[in-house]
Amino acid sequence: MAKLLIGTAPVLSCEGLQKSYGDQPAVVEVGFDIAPGETFGLLGPNGAGKTTTISMIAGLLRPDAGSITVAGERMSPTAAAAKGAVGLVPQDLAIYPDLSARENLTFFGRLYGLAKQPLRTRTDEVLEVIGLTDRAGDRAGEFSGGMKRRLNIGIGLLHRPRLLILDEPTVGVDPQSRNAILESVEQLSGEGLAVLYTTHYMEEAERLCRRIAIVDQGRLIAEGTRRELVATLGEQDLVRLEVFGDAVAAAEACAGVEGVRSADVEESTVVCLMHGAGSRLASLLGAVAEQGATVTGVEVREPDLEDVFLHLTGKALRH
Amino acid sequence: MFLLPLLLVVFIGAQFGGTSETRLGVVAPPGDASATALIDELDALQGIAVAPFDDAASLRDDIDRGLLSAGVVVPDGYDEALRSVGPITVVFVGRPDATAASLEALVAGAVGRQAAPGQAALIAAAGLDADPAELRRVALQVQDRIAAIEVTAEQLGSDELQQEFGGLGQFDLGASTQLLLFTFLTALFGSAALIQTRQYGVARRMLSTSTPMSVIVVGQGGGRFLIALVQAVYIVVASALLFRVDWGDPLATGVVLLLFCAVAAATGLLLGSTLRNDSQAGGVALGLGLGAAALGGSMVPLELYPDVMRTVARITPHAWANQAMAEIVRRDGTLADVLTEVGVLAGMAVTLLALGSLTLQRTLTR
Repeated sequence: MAKLLIGTAPVLSCEGLQKSYGDQPAVVEVGFDIAPGETFGLLGPNGAGKTTTISMIAGLLRPDAGSITVAGERMSPTAAAAKGAVGLVPQDLAIYPDLSARENLTFFGRLYGLAKQPLRTRTDEVLEVIGLTDRAGDRAGEFSGGMKRRLNIGIGLLHRPRLLILDEPTVGVDPQSRNAILESVEQLSGEGLAVLYTTHYMEEAERLCRRIAIVDQGRLIAEGTRRELVATLGEQDLVRLEVFGDAVAAAEACAGVEGVRSADVEESTVVCLMHGAGSRLASLLGAVAEQGATVTGVEVREPDLEDVFLHLTGKALRH
Repeated sequence: MFLLPLLLVVFIGAQFGGTSETRLGVVAPPGDASATALIDELDALQGIAVAPFDDAASLRDDIDRGLLSAGVVVPDGYDEALRSVGPITVVFVGRPDATAASLEALVAGAVGRQAAPGQAALIAAAGLDADPAELRRVALQVQDRIAAIEVTAEQLGSDELQQEFGGLGQFDLGASTQLLLFTFLTALFGSAALIQTRQYGVARRMLSTSTPMSVIVVGQGGGRFLIALVQAVYIVVASALLFRVDWGDPLATGVVLLLFCAVAAATGLLLGSTLRNDSQAGGVALGLGLGAAALGGSMVPLELYPDVMRTVARITPHAWANQAMAEIVRRDGTLADVLTEVGVLAGMAVTLLALGSLTLQRTLTR
């Protein structure tokens, strides 16, 4: 039976995190909380500082400044109790390909301090959760990409952590396995596990995460629920015009139409963020026509996280 | 790492070790007293084993095939010819090498000693108008009263080395040097496993668990130590059982080997935490392992090195361990006799372990 524990004391609380590599700041003043049963998304492009943030939260790196508390314990590279409350699932597969699934789980279970008999029982449970019971004795190196990913996640669940950190867990995974992973995360979250989920797939963040933080260049530039983040754009619509002709001139013309907040060009598409698209669409099409361009396609929709990210950083999320 | 060390021990033992005998084939007429005496004299020579043959053809065949170093064909009527002081020809068959030449001289000497009374009788008979056979009998009777002319041989420059390696079993030298070579080499190759652990991301993941960094580092070092120890124990036990290699005082040998394994493991840890990939590790392990072994006396005994090289060799753990093993195995040394070597090896182990641990910690937390 799923339990919703949101509202109780946070499992993870980090504040003012900073980390630099030489003169290059990797993380600047990052702070957020995660409640039990909450899946918190960390959304940002590659190199935004997500992995460095995670490494500090998992106790792999010591922050230059700021504090991290996990399950009431102060986190540091030497804090055994805090580390015991965290299950890390790194982006790159961190498993021994020459060991079987069971041997991999047993190896890490011992590192998490699980005793022999409880570990055996827990290994069976985790194999069941990740759907690898039938392949428990097979070498991990012989697994498909999706199975390896599931084993990678299973290792993070072995010691029943309070906080599960999933760093881009669906990279390079087929759609079926990806869906299985997302369902597992939903189930774990429903069981009260706090999940920190990093991704640059907007649809995953929208599906899984109650709250999302957007990071760019080491800074947390926005945080909130999906609705709150989209609301930062105001009550606006997103209009995409497929243009045949001079798209740049068309975008400049669109920017002059009443209600248009911004007009950008993506290849041959003019992307406009505007108020009241329904009543002003004709004006928009007219402005494009005046530039001698022809509109070959029109899409009007509500903005999503991708648009929020574009608006906040001036660049697309998947760059 | 299991078969090759023992094969090398056998090879080195066969080439350089122990007291292998030179085989000399002899064809002699049966029941011929002088031929039997000749065979007995040759057989009594140190380092020569006489092998009887029925005919000259099979004797030549075995020499051709390298089964014999040389052969002697004693003609029928050998004893009678000596007694009657008649003409006689003993045939020596040999390959064109130094061993055959040495054997020819030995055979000629032995035959010459048997023919000497007859020759003396012939010389005397020329002046006395007497029967040479009778004179030969007289010569044989007084032979023992003639002051013997003795030739003693003295070898220059090799006394020290002979003393050093004298009394060693055939495989003892090869076993102790190969033990150190392979133990070190195996530990260095173990660094590839540590690199793979890093490459897989497993090492970094280990650090995210509640197991302290110090335990992880000790575990990694301990793993390499166990690999080295298994290799060492295997060579010691296998060579003792198969080749009856004498490893000397168990306590002293044990301490030296444990410390040498620790040095090897620490070096493996250092390589594993600094090199980038396992193919790089393979190259460095091979070069360093064989280079240190060659310099440290595990290919050519340190005693054969010039003084300068022997001093330079002391930068390697092999030199110290070889020196200790020489004391233990060749001179029946005890732990008290190798305290200096043990101290140096312990110092090397501690220094390299500290360096390897620090490097590994830095690599994992970078």
